[in-house]
Amino acid sequence: MADNTFDAIVIGSGISGGWAAKELCEKGLKVLMLERGAEHKHITDYKTATKMPWEFEHRGKTTQQQKEDYPVIHRGWAANERVMDAWTNEKDSPYTEVKPFTWWRSYRMGGRSVLWGRHSYRWSELDFEANAKDGFGVDWPIRYKDLAPWYDHVERFAGISGSVEGLPYLPDGQFLPPVPLNIVEKDVAAKIKAFYKGERHMINSRVANITVPHDQRPGCQFRNRCWEGCQFGGYFSTQSSTLPAAVKTNNLTVRPLSIVTKILYDKDKKKATGVEVLDSMDNKTYEFKAKIVFVCASALNSTWLLFNSATDIWPGGLGSSSGELGHNVMDHHYNLGVSGEIEGYENVTEFGRRPAGFYISRFANTPGDKNRSFLRGYGYQGSASRQGWGRVVAELSIGSELKEALTEPGGWRIGATGFGEILPYHENKISLDSEVKDKWGLPVLKMDAEMKENELNMRKDIKEDLQAMFEAAGVKNISTYDSGHAMGHGIHEMGTARMGRDPKTSVLNGNNQVWDAPNVFVTDGACMTSSSCVNPSLTYMALTARAADFAVSELKKGNL
Amino acid sequence: MNRRDLLKQIALLTGGAVIGGELFLAGCKTGAKADAGFTAANISLLDEVAETIIPATSTPGAKAAKVGEFMKVMVTDCYTQKQQDAFVNGIGELDEACKKMHSKAFMECTPEQRKAFLVSLEKEAKEFNQKRDDADKPLREEHKKKNEALAWKDQTEFEGSPSHYYTMMKQLTLLGFFTSKTGMTETLRHVSVPTKYDGAYPYKKGDKAWAE
Repeated sequence: MADNTFDAIVIGSGISGGWAAKELCEKGLKVLMLERGAEHKHITDYKTATKMPWEFEHRGKTTQQQKEDYPVIHRGWAANERVMDAWTNEKDSPYTEVKPFTWWRSYRMGGRSVLWGRHSYRWSELDFEANAKDGFGVDWPIRYKDLAPWYDHVERFAGISGSVEGLPYLPDGQFLPPVPLNIVEKDVAAKIKAFYKGERHMINSRVANITVPHDQRPGCQFRNRCWEGCQFGGYFSTQSSTLPAAVKTNNLTVRPLSIVTKILYDKDKKKATGVEVLDSMDNKTYEFKAKIVFVCASALNSTWLLFNSATDIWPGGLGSSSGELGHNVMDHHYNLGVSGEIEGYENVTEFGRRPAGFYISRFANTPGDKNRSFLRGYGYQGSASRQGWGRVVAELSIGSELKEALTEPGGWRIGATGFGEILPYHENKISLDSEVKDKWGLPVLKMDAEMKENELNMRKDIKEDLQAMFEAAGVKNISTYDSGHAMGHGIHEMGTARMGRDPKTSVLNGNNQVWDAPNVFVTDGACMTSSSCVNPSLTYMALTARAADFAVSELKKGNL
Repeated sequence: MNRRDLLKQIALLTGGAVIGGELFLAGCKTGAKADAGFTAANISLLDEVAETIIPATSTPGAKAAKVGEFMKVMVTDCYTQKQQDAFVNGIGELDEACKKMHSKAFMECTPEQRKAFLVSLEKEAKEFNQKRDDADKPLREEHKKKNEALAWKDQTEFEGSPSHYYTMMKQLTLLGFFTSKTGMTETLRHVSVPTKYDGAYPYKKGDKAWAE
């Protein structure tokens, strides 16, 4: 095999790219994985993970200089001294916003698999049927039964902890023992269950943190410092899980610092032949050839690559013949929730720092629910804990009395935030901004997307329902907040190269193949046809593994 | 990403619980310059102010946690220009106010005199902050109206007037002390690698809180 020729090329090394590389390598293909960022080695490159909290000069706060350098990251909670190196340099890699769009990127090996929230929920049949039933977007070309075995497959390998609940709209999976609820959460869950007669469910978060040793990883040590990278391999990331599996096959070649600028397309064969890479250090261009290409560059960057590919045939890029490439941007809307005080439980506290808490699964617009002024639904994530030293202690302004009082924990509080589904709107779109170039002279993305009436109506109920549930559970001094939501802020950006049943209305078919180039597979968030309200990464894993299996069987049949 | 931290922040904010929680966040958010011009004498004074707020008891206090030096780092690196000015000027104002009350500089006062002075200063700071909030309110409204007339890209964040200098000093004292090594391991208790989670761990009055 020539140095630049492989069986398969995987673009991106995040959750989806890592899975593509692992599956293809394990099936015997010689795979080249291209990552635009730098190397970031498991354990040895987790520079902050072993520091003690007091060793951080600003104790987690960011500086005025960082605020200036990372304005987008500072729009929310992601700006933290410990992880500032993880975020993409915003000056080198700008993007433009017709409407506000918060895009949190991490250009380095493993991508956001190192930083992710790790909540891992299966979609249900309700989600796959939603578009067909209410007419927004196009119908998914697959149903739950198509993906269920692949959820099994990826859960078994990744290690998802959770409780078996038998809920109709949140299917159970192949779980490791759950991260426990604490005593307050258990009681609140029981009260909610009783009040709503078993129709609403507050359960253990389902997370990709392993609660027992798994796949040669020792497991979660309950430090809750996941996003710094975990030296115990306590959670699923490319580095802890899929990359070592792929490396073990001796079939993987990894090339960091490789910005893929276009997919090379042969218009006679109607197939891709490989990719063109711009080396971000030496600024030279390289070509690599392969029989199949997996595009896993993260939702919006995968579409950016399609925009820039095969433009001699389709000016709008590969996959644009449908008129849908770049359209139907989705996200989950949040930045709203409820919190309050729990009386009692003074004789208990927590030991250990959980990487998770509770989850309240969707109930809105499920059979038996009341009439709603919006379509689709939402879930909540939250936790209860005792207050720390930051609380106000009445009448003790200073001195030893203040110190003694703050030495003890305060009362219990509980809080949760909602995560709502965003509909696929054709007019919510991204495109190339040819006026603005990045550090390498490449055109950047232009974001033009917003929430609409359905989402805004949903937000009212997200707050009111949770407040009512907390009241029913006896939570006191309840307060609510809604600080608004810009698209992208949910870090669940999805869509722009959707799957579908018809090449006239979708970019990809039911096996994630680009209709116009069947040996090009897009399996990350770009492929999503609707957004559900549950965290999407587990579904990207399952879709990727399914597509890889299909791709290899087609290769063997000589169809690609 | 770590939603738990987000929730904590929000829980603290909505509860209005963190003393100046808004400043911990906003204080590290808006444009400023470096070098706030702290002298060694300033650091010593801030150490003693901090020690008066969180004194050594059966465990070390704020001075042992080097809170004065911590304040310098935070004010220099994380505060806006307005906040820096208010803080640095406040060091001189603090001594002037102390002289008015006790006829001597803060460093010359006994621990009891220092405490009595800071208790009265805290009262002054509360009134000051209330007046500041009242004065900022119409400005904030006006800013909001102006923003609404602008395209979203041209909208700016409203930067309110800084809090009273003592409020900032107290906030930084609590943050600096309870996140220091001694604060986390001697006044509070800390386990670096807990290895497990127990959601009903026995607690009796007097047990220390866990430092996170």
